[in-house]
Amino acid sequence: MSADTHDVDLVGEEVVENVARAALFAALMGAFAYVSFPNPFSPAPVTLQVLGVFLAGIFLGPVWGGASLVVYLVAGAVGAPVFSGGAAGLGHLVGSNAGYLISWPVAAFVVGAIVHGGLTVGDPRAVGSVRLVGAMVLATALIYAFGIAGLMIVLGMGPVAAFTAGAAAFIPAEAFKIAAAVGIVRSDAFIAE
Amino acid sequence: MLKYEPGSTVVHALDPRTKLAVQAGFAVAAFAHTTPRGLAVLTAIALGFVGAARLSPLGTLVELRFVLPILIAAPLLEGLTFGWPWFSLAQARFPALASYRVLLILFVSAAYVHTTPTRESRAAVQWLIPGKPGQFLGMGVAVVFRFLPVIVDDLVRAREAMHARLGTERPLAERIRIVATAGLRRVFARADALSLALRARCFAWNPTLPRLSLGWWDVPGMALGLALVGSAVIGSV
Repeated sequence: MSADTHDVDLVGEEVVENVARAALFAALMGAFAYVSFPNPFSPAPVTLQVLGVFLAGIFLGPVWGGASLVVYLVAGAVGAPVFSGGAAGLGHLVGSNAGYLISWPVAAFVVGAIVHGGLTVGDPRAVGSVRLVGAMVLATALIYAFGIAGLMIVLGMGPVAAFTAGAAAFIPAEAFKIAAAVGIVRSDAFIAE
Repeated sequence: MLKYEPGSTVVHALDPRTKLAVQAGFAVAAFAHTTPRGLAVLTAIALGFVGAARLSPLGTLVELRFVLPILIAAPLLEGLTFGWPWFSLAQARFPALASYRVLLILFVSAAYVHTTPTRESRAAVQWLIPGKPGQFLGMGVAVVFRFLPVIVDDLVRAREAMHARLGTERPLAERIRIVATAGLRRVFARADALSLALRARCFAWNPTLPRLSLGWWDVPGMALGLALVGSAVIGSV
């Protein structure tokens, strides 16, 4: 690789902004792994990562939201301590949580595509509550379907055991995250561009 | 916490692409040879790799504590039977081996994280994925490393401020909303500042990266990666 000084290909103005947002959102996803709240339904604490997936789709749109989650996965794979509990390493992408991790970019794309009704990003405040909640419920179902499939493939568990260990204790808490996401969109704290 | 530590071990000296090849080969081999004999050989390779990186196996196990519950629960849950004898060793056998192979894969990737600086990982990512997508991923990875501690601090501050105002008495969804809103606000503000700074510094699709070069130690490393993949291919035929 040679130092290329004659032929600089500048990144376009709009793209720079989206790149910076997607990259910082990936860092936020990592930071969410460090924040947990006591779960009223089960001993497993509630972390905010799934909320991050919803917010990526809602605020960055399907394309940049999904891209942001891909950056998050690659950063974690090469050593940024962003996976749950501050873990890192390529091994996690084929480990017990692989299904959940791989589902996140897809889920962010789905939330973004449903909320914005296509690939262009509009104002999420203008979206009806049914559509907003429906998108997040569908994304939750997708995340847990991938997660359970991951447990079955990687750990050789049966569907019942995989559901018991990987979903039953966590799904009720997703309702709080969906409620919080609706609250954030409705709070007027952000104006999407 | 498991993170890059500068050092002069053989694993530190390896090209990041070699280490990625070993990890990928190891994972493929672990899935292909999930038998007591296969895993015994892979245990020796994993411990050798971790040892060469001067990483303590026990310390690594402590770092992996967040994945241990599910790895232990998998064979226990799968072995449960309705009715006597309540637990079947035969049913628990494969999930136990599968859990163990995940542990080995995580050990090998821990050695990579411990021995590879961010800029080398970034260069390897951009070598693997050429063009603009690779450049975007490489830049994104660098931003995540740089901003993660800052944003964790932002969230901790928001949480402490909430606690100081009796936030623990509020409903859970409300608390999640408060912390996430503070985090999002900071992220958007920082993204705006970052994009301005990037434009001011002529952010380009083709910046100069460290030159990657294979050394003599990479020959046996690459051979190991290829041999592990080969063993999986031969094993599956």
